[in-house]
Amino acid sequence: MNRGMNNVWSLVLVSAIVYAALAILMGVVPGMVLSRTPPTVGLHPYSVQEQRGRDIYVSEGCEYCHTQNVRPLKQDEVFGRPSTAGDYAYDTPELLGDHRNGPDLTNIGGRQPSKIWQYIHLWEPRSVVHGSIMPRYTWLFAVKPKADLGDEVVPIPSGFGPAQGVVVTTTQSRDLVSYLESLKQVSLTKRTGK
Amino acid sequence: MKSASLVVRDNAEPEDVALFSSFIASATFWLLLTTAVGLLLSFKFPYPDWATSPFLSFGRLRAIHTNGTFYGWASIALSGTAIYVAARTSGIGVSNKWLAWLSLACYNLAAICGTITLDLGINYGDQEYREWVWWVKVIFLLGVLLSGLTVVQTVANRVEREIYISNWYTIGGFVFTPILAIVAIIPAYQVGLGQVAVQGFFMHNAVGMWFTFLALGITYYALPKLLNRPIYSYALGVLGFWTNLVFYPVIGAHHFEFSPLPWWFQTLAIVFSVGMLVPVWAGTANFALTMRARGETVRRSYALPFIVVGVAYYFLGSTQGTVEAFRSLQTIWHFTSFTIGHSHATMYGFITFIAWGGIYALLPRATGKQPSLLATGLHFWFATIGVTAYVIALSIGGTIQGLTWAAGNPFIASVDAAAPFWVARAVAGSLMFLAHIIFAYNVYLMTLAPGRESDHWEPQKPERAATA
Repeated sequence: MNRGMNNVWSLVLVSAIVYAALAILMGVVPGMVLSRTPPTVGLHPYSVQEQRGRDIYVSEGCEYCHTQNVRPLKQDEVFGRPSTAGDYAYDTPELLGDHRNGPDLTNIGGRQPSKIWQYIHLWEPRSVVHGSIMPRYTWLFAVKPKADLGDEVVPIPSGFGPAQGVVVTTTQSRDLVSYLESLKQVSLTKRTGK
Repeated sequence: MKSASLVVRDNAEPEDVALFSSFIASATFWLLLTTAVGLLLSFKFPYPDWATSPFLSFGRLRAIHTNGTFYGWASIALSGTAIYVAARTSGIGVSNKWLAWLSLACYNLAAICGTITLDLGINYGDQEYREWVWWVKVIFLLGVLLSGLTVVQTVANRVEREIYISNWYTIGGFVFTPILAIVAIIPAYQVGLGQVAVQGFFMHNAVGMWFTFLALGITYYALPKLLNRPIYSYALGVLGFWTNLVFYPVIGAHHFEFSPLPWWFQTLAIVFSVGMLVPVWAGTANFALTMRARGETVRRSYALPFIVVGVAYYFLGSTQGTVEAFRSLQTIWHFTSFTIGHSHATMYGFITFIAWGGIYALLPRATGKQPSLLATGLHFWFATIGVTAYVIALSIGGTIQGLTWAAGNPFIASVDAAAPFWVARAVAGSLMFLAHIIFAYNVYLMTLAPGRESDHWEPQKPERAATA
């Protein structure tokens, strides 16, 4: 059966050529073409601080529970308008995600504009969302006996704070929250053309 | 060949036995470590405040669980078995053994470095199944290339005339994966939405062109060997090979349905997802027909029950994948725990069970040491009941999650609704982890344990039988 394939090197060569061709066609070419997608009109690149916050988001694996991909479906309307190709022009690595153990964050800066809420929620999600299963990110904050001049004290609801002292923000928590606040969808209505 | 219920010892070179045993021992270590991590993760759903530390946080451990089970456990177990199968089917010893040892070292080094860097929060942008940073991926790629070279050279030096069908599949896996790894590692063309397209391509090909090909190759060897009967159809096997090769690379975009990827690109992926029924059903039918009317042999074997479950999950999990790709069902199931159930049906029910079947089939023949009958039975039932309960729990829970969103309820309602099913998953996961501890004990019995040689052996090399 299939005598021509009894040379192992021809099996290697033929299957390598077929697969390489498919990999170029289905992986490399779509990657190259879509990498050139122009940004949505009005979309801005991240600031240095927002980009640092985005790195923390990636580092802590927020993407495993939070998508940034609003689908053109009724159940996604609560998260914002449907995402468009140009929305991701500055998003490398991409963080579309494929799980919603928590809500979509595409437009979280628009939906939850309070920085204070974000800090409290990151310190202990259950202090503001009953039944939340999000982990605590207490290591993004510092606990001090008392606040120093210039410290940003986080008003943790009673019962959720440390036994002693106050919770203050750090560069990390400020960066991350500045990134979350930057997640605001750009309106499409001002666009011209398609 | 002798009767299948009476295990016959392979006429394998002692160095090949040591090589095979070392691959399996390494793989078993990674299975234990990374499924312990998985278990910890499953308990974080009901107890989110438990183990609060950056190094034990969900976002970091999840990638350790997925990459560790993929590239530590499954890759090492399947590569080691594929090398051993190549030698057996070629009628010679493993060629260039030092390449294989070096490959094992690379695999382990990659898994160690990958696990540590991920736990430190250093990753490749949360890109699922390729979270290891580029230099860790390069070490892993070296491991694949070296194992592949070992297999190809062994098959090239064979004394048999034809390349046995299992080597078609395993060589395919070793050829495709380096190409895939290079596509995944080069960053230049992966910007924004372009990276989404590459990610869809990568994640499905990692599963379909690496694990699937190696697992099918091992099945094509172990099944006829254990049943002492030729594979039902060689032609179906070749059909499966080419259709798998041509259809699988096209279906990646079905991970991003309703995303801003071009609509036709998603549609193409859905169409080819239906096409995947051809290799899946051809393979399943081939295996089922090879096993036909041999229920008694299956029942008496250590290894065959694992292969039966593996083939059943290959069929169910892959067919589920096709159905899941339809847009109407994606609207409900996408983003829910349903997909976690699916990935365990395939990577665990199919890939891991086939790896176990291959190990229980071949390791005792290599070392001359049998596993414990009781332990093997417990391993089988705990793992089978565990994964089945796991998949059912998350399929129901995920469906409810999706329906809760569709009903327009507040998001937290979906968390409350899925909560009992996540608890059920943690219980099922505990059972699976228990099975892994028992498996590790069996691996010890089949390799290092002294005095395990059974008197049922019919050794073909007298000098090795004398070690008892």
